[in-house]
Amino acid sequence: MNVRLLGLGELPPKLAEAVLAGLPRPFAGGEIGRLSVSIERCYERTRAQVDASCLIEQIPDPELGWSALGLTGVDLFMPALTYVFGISHLGGRRGIVSWFRLHPEEETADTQAHLTRRITTEVVHELGHGLGLVHCVVPDCAMHRSLWPEGVDLKRPEYCPACLATLASL
Amino acid sequence: MMTMPVRILVVDDEQHIRNSLAAWFREEGYDVSVAASGRDALAAIAREGTHILLVDIKMPGMDGLELQRKVHELAPDATVIIMTAYASVETAVEALKEGAYDYIVKPFDPEAVSRLVRKAAERYALLAENRTLRERIAGASPALITGGSPAMVKVNELVEQVAPTDTSVLITGESGTGKELVARLIHARSNRRFGPFVVENCGALAEGLLESELFGHERGAFTGAVGRHRGKVEMANEGTLFLDEIGDVPPRVQVDLLRVLQERELKRVGGNETIKVDFRLVTATHRDLEAEVASGRFRDDFYFRINVFQIPLPPLRERPGDVPALAEHFLTQFSNQMNRRISGFSPDAMAALVAYPWPGNVRELANAIERAVVLCRGEKIEAGHFPFVAPPASADHSLAVVEEAHIRRVLAACSHNVAQAARELDIDRVTLYNKMKKYGIERP
Repeated sequence: MNVRLLGLGELPPKLAEAVLAGLPRPFAGGEIGRLSVSIERCYERTRAQVDASCLIEQIPDPELGWSALGLTGVDLFMPALTYVFGISHLGGRRGIVSWFRLHPEEETADTQAHLTRRITTEVVHELGHGLGLVHCVVPDCAMHRSLWPEGVDLKRPEYCPACLATLASL
Repeated sequence: MMTMPVRILVVDDEQHIRNSLAAWFREEGYDVSVAASGRDALAAIAREGTHILLVDIKMPGMDGLELQRKVHELAPDATVIIMTAYASVETAVEALKEGAYDYIVKPFDPEAVSRLVRKAAERYALLAENRTLRERIAGASPALITGGSPAMVKVNELVEQVAPTDTSVLITGESGTGKELVARLIHARSNRRFGPFVVENCGALAEGLLESELFGHERGAFTGAVGRHRGKVEMANEGTLFLDEIGDVPPRVQVDLLRVLQERELKRVGGNETIKVDFRLVTATHRDLEAEVASGRFRDDFYFRINVFQIPLPPLRERPGDVPALAEHFLTQFSNQMNRRISGFSPDAMAALVAYPWPGNVRELANAIERAVVLCRGEKIEAGHFPFVAPPASADHSLAVVEEAHIRRVLAACSHNVAQAARELDIDRVTLYNKMKKYGIERP
């Protein structure tokens, strides 16, 4: 499975490269690109946030053998929820991850690496949903649900054996 | 662990709300449906059922409160969570008073909504588990089948009195009187009913093997002990341990059992680890334990420990009035098992059952009925289906033979009440006694 990382707005090139390089099995590589989307159209003024379900509709369906994932720095929400780190179409091979709320709480020498790891983990998470995986009970599996940034640190940017087995059977 | 996915129904007239919630919960692995109105929601519940409902309180037409009331009628086990805006929190509180599980204010904090639905899912799993357990207990719960004999009414009373306590119970009675059934009844009506009921027949095992069966052993404790084995006492933790034929337990094992009963802990054979055990002991024997104690074959300290509360079971011959009810019970049981349509017993068959002294007690009666169901080809069990009824001497139609058989039948039908049988036969009691003496008929 190949992954197309798409910058929705500004995307630091090194960040995208690091994320792509950090993707685990069953992803075999991919490419980095930019997608011209209208963030303004999905912006909710009263909440000062971007509607993730509106934004994801602007990502085109990928061809067979590919997953498409949008990366953005805007604060995402879903109509019923105050915020989300990302969103995907279950089994639809399309998703979005925002790093807006994933910034480490403290600035250290490792801040960038820390942020990259969090983003990579959430990218792996949303790509998993895109392939049809639901949340996993294994605490350090990328498919475990994280509700806070610190929760992302408890996971590894890869799938547990059970999720890998599920992926193989899908 | 849940065996089927929890089904969630999101009811909201705003499409983007119900769709985003549905997507969110699908990622959690829930089985999610959506409905745009109360009416659609009721139709969905009727069609496919639901476990958890997230209901918007303000909807055109049927509002959330009204829907909640209808859901409680249609699916009383379903958990309703009310979704509300700040403006309608008071209404949400009203919904809580009417039985909603909780309410949540839009837009939802992901952590809050995730936790709330997880709690509701756990509640559903618990309800389902409770229901399964209740059904299992109701289905497995034994019952004392009696025809209302005073002796068995007394047994039932004793069981009711002792069951809710943790007192050790000794059940005495001849073989086949139903001692294990009474032990199961005590367990089923005790506070330990959700725990295990562990049975060990102490009469069936040699001393060394009994010790290992009761207390378990560690790997290598003896030749052939290839792995760790937990004993029956350990397995009965938080439940009831039923030791049948306790009178056959050798004195050395009696000492070990006494120690476990006093200290509530044990060590497996060949092990050093002390294991805490919490169980209720019920024992049974067909022996006269007092006589065994007097003769020195049974330890008196152990006897006093197990004989805190005794339930004596009367033999079946002392309660012939219970035979018809027991016979009907076993007939239904075996007919169902063998898929046979047998409506009952002929009068002769029932009379024979009542007249027979049943040395093997209820167990023998059950066996006799099972055999009769196998043999029966008609709609009713006949006397000839029982092994203890001699086949009629077809060649001998003498008056004496016919008279004896008739007297036996009538006596049996009257539960061997001679006065009543004499009235049935239209003779006086003295005449009947004389005829009984002549034909060697004895009252059971």
